[in-house]
Formats: sequence, C-alpha cells, structure tokens
Amino acid sequence: MSSDLLRRLAPRQVLTSLAERRNYRYDAIQFGETPLAVVLPETTADVVAAVQVARAAGVPIVGRGAASGLSGGAAPAVPGLVISFTRMTALRVDPSRREARAQAGVVTLAVSDAARPHGLIYPPDPASLRTSTIGGNLAENAGGPMCFKYGVTGDYVRALQVVDAAGEVHELTRDAYDLAGLLIGSEGTLGLMTEATLRLVPPPRFTRTLMAHFPEVGACAEAVSQAIAAGAVPSKLEFMDRACTNAVEDYLGLGLPRAAEAVLLIDTDGDDLPTVEEERALVEAACAAAGGTVRRAGSDAEAAALWQARRSVSPALGRIRPQRMNEDIAVPRSALPDVVREIRALGDASPFTVVQFGHIGDGNLHPNILFDPRQDDSHAVHDLAHRIALVALRHGGVLSGEHGIGSMKRDFMRDAVDPVTLGALWTVKRALDPAGGLNPGKVLPEEVNG
Amino acid sequence: MNNEIREAVPGGQGEVMAHAVDACVHCGFCLPACPTYTLLGDEMDSPRGRIVLMKEVLEGGLSLADAAPHLDRCLGCQGCVTACPSGVPYGELITAFRGWSEPQRARSSLNRAKRSAILKILPAPRLFSVAARVGQFAKPLAPALPAALRAPLDLLPETVPPLQPSPPFTPARGARRGRVALLVGCAQQALAPNFNAATLRVLARNGIEVVVPEGQGCCGAAALHTGARAEALRLVRANLAAFNPGDYDAILSNAAGCGAGLKEYPAVLRGEQDEAQAHAFAARVMDLSEYLHGLLQAGELMPPLPASRPLKVAYHDACHLAHAQGVRAAPRALLRFIPGVTVLEVPEGDLCCGSAGTYNLEQPELATALGQRKAANILSTAPDLIASGNIGCHTQIQSHVRRAHSPVPVLHTLEVLDRAYRGEL
Repeated sequence: MSSDLLRRLAPRQVLTSLAERRNYRYDAIQFGETPLAVVLPETTADVVAAVQVARAAGVPIVGRGAASGLSGGAAPAVPGLVISFTRMTALRVDPSRREARAQAGVVTLAVSDAARPHGLIYPPDPASLRTSTIGGNLAENAGGPMCFKYGVTGDYVRALQVVDAAGEVHELTRDAYDLAGLLIGSEGTLGLMTEATLRLVPPPRFTRTLMAHFPEVGACAEAVSQAIAAGAVPSKLEFMDRACTNAVEDYLGLGLPRAAEAVLLIDTDGDDLPTVEEERALVEAACAAAGGTVRRAGSDAEAAALWQARRSVSPALGRIRPQRMNEDIAVPRSALPDVVREIRALGDASPFTVVQFGHIGDGNLHPNILFDPRQDDSHAVHDLAHRIALVALRHGGVLSGEHGIGSMKRDFMRDAVDPVTLGALWTVKRALDPAGGLNPGKVLPEEVNG
Repeated sequence: MNNEIREAVPGGQGEVMAHAVDACVHCGFCLPACPTYTLLGDEMDSPRGRIVLMKEVLEGGLSLADAAPHLDRCLGCQGCVTACPSGVPYGELITAFRGWSEPQRARSSLNRAKRSAILKILPAPRLFSVAARVGQFAKPLAPALPAALRAPLDLLPETVPPLQPSPPFTPARGARRGRVALLVGCAQQALAPNFNAATLRVLARNGIEVVVPEGQGCCGAAALHTGARAEALRLVRANLAAFNPGDYDAILSNAAGCGAGLKEYPAVLRGEQDEAQAHAFAARVMDLSEYLHGLLQAGELMPPLPASRPLKVAYHDACHLAHAQGVRAAPRALLRFIPGVTVLEVPEGDLCCGSAGTYNLEQPELATALGQRKAANILSTAPDLIASGNIGCHTQIQSHVRRAHSPVPVLHTLEVLDRAYRGEL
C-alpha cells in the first residue's frame, strides 16, 4: 500500500516509518493499534487518492483531526490507514453571507479569530477549541459551554464536502434528505468530511459572568433547574465538582473555592442589557435559594480566567490519576439533582475517584472515573462506567452529549438502543460503507445474529 | 501514560523521565503551543508525540535512530509546559532523555567535531570572541560554504565588540541596600558585553552591591540540552562550589537561558549526593528582572528619567524566561516604570524565535522560518524599540529584523533601564 500511496501523493504526505506511525494511534483518552501508514493530505484530491489506495488494498481507514477527542474515536481499533487532516487548513470568511468555508484541519478557534474583524463569531466552543479541528468537531458533533443557548457544531453547518468509502466526493446541503446531518456526529464511520460551510453570527453586545459555589453537589443541580424554570436562558451554565476545582486550582491558582462541593459558572448574554441583567438576577436568586454563595466576575479579565478554569478541567484531572474513563451522558434537566447525587453515591461506594463536571444547563454531565492502570482493575472501572451509564438511561438520558460513542461506550449501546433500531443503524452503515472499511470497531456494537 | 521507564533506566534520571511520562494524558493541549508542530503539522514533531517517542525508545519498542530526527527538532522552548494543564515537566524529560541517549548516538565525525567545537567555544568567552572575529572575516565567503558552516556565520552581528570583563566586586552607590552574586554568562560576554555593564550600573545605582564570584563558569545549559551530561555535571558542580554558600540575598542572571539552567540544577542532580546543595542554590536564583521588580514593588526602585520622546517598546518574551521560569510580568513592569514608555504585546508572543541555544546551528532551516516569523510579528506592532532578556533571542531577533530591512534597535531590558537612568533614552 505504501508504494501505491507514494505514487499518488507527495513524499511529505505519506508517513511510513515506525516512529511516525506510532504517533497516530491515540486520541486524548485511548491508545489503539499502530497504523500501517499515515497520510497527511493537503487537498480533497489527496484524500480521494488515499481512500482509493486503501480501498484497493482492502485496508480500513481512520480519519483524525487533532486527536483531542475523548471517546477513542480517532484511536484505530485495527491496523489500517490513518488520514490526518492537520495540514488541510484553508479558511475563507464571507462576511456578506455570514459564512466561513473551512477545510477539515482548521483549528476551531481560528474560525472565530478570522470572523471577528468582520463583527462575527463562530459559537461552538468545545473546551479544546485551541487545539481541536473543525473536522474532528464535525465527526463528534462537538458541543461546548455555549451549546445551551446557541447549539452544537451541527447547528452551524450549512454544507459539507464528504469523501465516501468509494472515494467519491459529495457536496451535501441540509435540504431533501439531510445527509449532512447524518454524517455529522458519525465519528468517521460513514464518510470523511473534508470541508464545511459554517454559519457565523454577530456576538452578543453584553455578557455578564457569575460564579456560585455550593456545599453539596445536588444543590447545584437544583439551582440550575430552578433558574431555567424561572425563565432564564443563560448562554453558558457549567458545573464542576470539588475534585475538578482543586485540579484546576493546582494548575492555574485562580483562587477558586477549594472547599466547595460544587462550583457553577454562568454567563448571561444578549443585545438588550436590562434582559441580560434580569436573567443574571434570576440565576443569582436560584443559586441563593439552593444554598449557594454567589460571586460576580468584576472584570472581563476575571471572567476570562474563570472560563479558562472550566476549559482546563478535563486535562487537569491527569494530576489526580494518570488515566480516566470518561462519560458524556445527557439527562433531562428535571432529573439532574437525582442523577448527580446517584453518581456521587456510586463513586463514594467504589474504590475509585469519581469526579463530575459538564454543561449542566443541557443536562450534559461528564462523570469521570480516575484510575491508575498499574494498580486498578480495568474490569472494575468498566463495570462502574456501565453502572453510571445505566443511571443516565434510567432517568431518560442518553450515552453521549458531545464526545461521541467511539470505542469507550460502544458496549453500552445495547442498553440504550433497542435491537430493531440498532438494526436500522447497521443498515445505514452498510449502505454508505458496504465493505466496513471506515473506522471499524466504533459506535455500533457487533450484531448478535448477523 | 503507562510506562516501564523506571525499570529501563534506574536512578534519578529514570525517575525524572518516568514521572514526566506518567503525567501526560495525551490531551493535545500542547499542540498549538509547539513551534515545530505549528510549522510542520505532524504529530511526531509535537510535544505529545515526542513524549510517546521517548517512552517507546526508553522501553525498547523503538530504536533511538528512528526517533532521533523528531526529538532533535525540539527547540526545548517549553511553550508546551505553559500550555499543559496536567503539569507534565516536559523540559526535564527532554533534557534527561538527551543526557541518557547522547552517548548511544551514532554521529558522523564531522557532526561530532562540530558539536564538540560549539561546546568548547560557547562557554569560553575569550575563545568565543576570537572565533567571532575570525568568523567576521569569513562572512563574505558564507554563500560558498556548506550549510553547517554557513549558519553560525549568518548569525554573527556586523561588529564584534571588545571583551569587557566584569569586576569581581561592584560597590553600591549611596546607602547599601542589598548584596547579590551575578552569573556573567558566556556568549553574551563576547557578543554583548554591555548587558553586564548595564546590569552592574543599574544595580549599583539602586544601592545593590554585586559580587562576581571567582570560579564560576558556564551554567551548563548548552551542554545539558545537547546531551553532553558529563560535561554539564562538571560545569554544574563548579558553579555550586563557586556560589555556595556565599552571603548573598540572591544569585542573579541576566540571560533567560542561563537563569533557567541554574534553576534546573536540582533536576540534573536528582538522586546524586549533592542534590540538597542544588536545591539550596536554585532557591536563591532569580532573573535580574525578578529581583528589580521586587525592589519596584517594595517602592525601593529609583525612578528613571523620562524618555526623551514617547517610546513604544515591543517586549519579546524569551522562552526560558516566560515558559521555563514563568517570568512575564516583571520585565514589562520595569519597562513601564520608565516615564514615556508604552509596552507593546507581540502577536504569537508565546512562539519561540528559533534561537534556542544551539538550535539555529543544528536546525538552521526551522530556526530561520521561526526567526522570520518572529521578526514579522514584532515589526507588525510598529515599535520604536525591541526589548528582550536573553542573548540568544537578542542575536536571532536582531539578525532577522535587519534582514527585514528594519533599523529598529534591539536592546536588553536592562539596557533600556540603564539608558533611562542615564538620560539617554
């Protein structure tokens, strides 16, 4: 295969040595198999060439952005060809149409940076926005703190360019059959997204930032439910528990309340200042009613520091234990207090450190089991993760809010999806990827009876 | 990240490396902070990728020869250390790894001779000065020379000033308020003797007496970061002997690279019998800007004379000051203390200028790409003056600013302060 790749692509685009290939087997949570070769395309035509070569050789393909994903999506489950999009970084902003056309390898933050001089922003803001790529965001349908009010990646896609399993290029829009919508969040199992037309919006004129801390985790969730029930639509509503706050405090030293059991970060925003302030007052009142202590960010710099704190939670947890099993459940907001308390109880009863944080406004929680693979039993970790997933499902929730299923939660799909629906998902997969060559071993559990 | 490094490399340096690899959760937050990843866009030339490569080599899963090209491209700028939420001490890892791996490297005899010449000349100011003068004569021949010889010539300034050895003792002017020891550095004595002269004048004027302890030498960073660990240990121990115990309020360096090198002594000597001495030593090391900033905060720094006209100063964060030592606010505060001076922030300020010790000699292409990018970013702020706190950055930035046909002066932060005190700014 390598010689075929080298015939179709430039030498700088094809990595074949062991030292090079070894570095394309992981994402931010998991190590997978060392690929047989790695291609670093610069154009869609390069991607087509790579797909055609892999197909002819019968070799599976894994697409990869910055590999900051948290479900094992970019970590190859079997040896194959990794197509890494990090050199596809062309970006064009069209302010008159309020659009950006971005190649898959454009770093998420770069879209907003390019749009800002035109008075526009790109709202989806995953915690990894300085690192992660648009292609990876599309594959996982990434969210972020802004998603409560403004939505996730998929809500900002007007058109997609996709290379299918046969190496054909498609330009997909959102009309007729919404194939773009099907591809978004498909984790590289249905096609390779090479370019996207993204919707840009003007930033809100006013933003107010609050921090509240609580002596108990469930009280924090109650405050969220009450604030939203009272009519507030904050742009961001994020929570982190005590272990998260302390991990971040070790990194940034911002003076976060180390003793609090839960911290809530809230932004209210909009173009009408009285409304923005009124929403803030509603949130403050709900926090106080739930027993929380409220602090307003005094300046833009203080607000920025608080948000940097939230963005750093996930990797800062590495300071506590070297490895973690990362959940990404989303539950109805009314169930939040019960869910966070039940997960807390499961963690307390286990030998592991279980921490929680997430986009609580969406009911999207990230319970993480922290462990040391040298000392801890991986089956016990998996079992606890399964029980946490079942808590979410029991309360009417789902397995993934924004990180995807990947390989980490693939086994839990049978609990979440009935066999008939799972069969339909397999039918879709086989229609678009008949040979099963696109990111095998991800998302869908193997069918039991054929 | 799981690893078996402690079994492969027992002892202090194995512990240093294993701890760093343990701490990495391969989240990728370091990618945008890495200059080589920014230029090359591939995983094996990123901090996360290099950590995996080092781990694999140490565990025997990958040959050193396969990994070496990517590890050699690391500037050691430690931009990734600032960006890392998990607290991976990447700088300690790559330094320890280079020390461990260098004796096993197969290098051509020309390459070996060049490295050994650099490591002999760099720490010896007299030799360096002579070499620089010889180099100046050779400069017109540069286009005809092979790249390995051309790179060092390209970097030489237009004129090499005469050596100005620093006096062993400089008394305080007026009432004595403090007593410090100064590390005078190597290359900067030959290339920019005014850095030390300005430093002594500024300290004396503020009532600080300065001792330049006899027997001090190179901080050892150049040797350490190129893997010459035995040579580095010799230099480290010579400095420990020269500065310890000593009746000083602080041990100061006015070169970011050297200061970071001195602060690294405890990691270098981890597991050795003089480790405790290294801790005591490193605890007293400060960059000159940190020390003066302390005086400023205590209200004890003499106010400089105002600049003769409003001056926009673009401040360049040296990697070994900002990333390795975490010193960012102090130099800016000192510059702002001068009436009439505005401090400008440079776009992509966290990205290395490409100097990085001996990097511009060993990886001239990448170093040049980064130097051009840095010069363009600095000049985009339209400054009247460029200030930095490190001789390596100074030389690199000056060279690329001149190549961009800009006449803007490049000074050490202390030179700016010194000029202000003398009414020459």
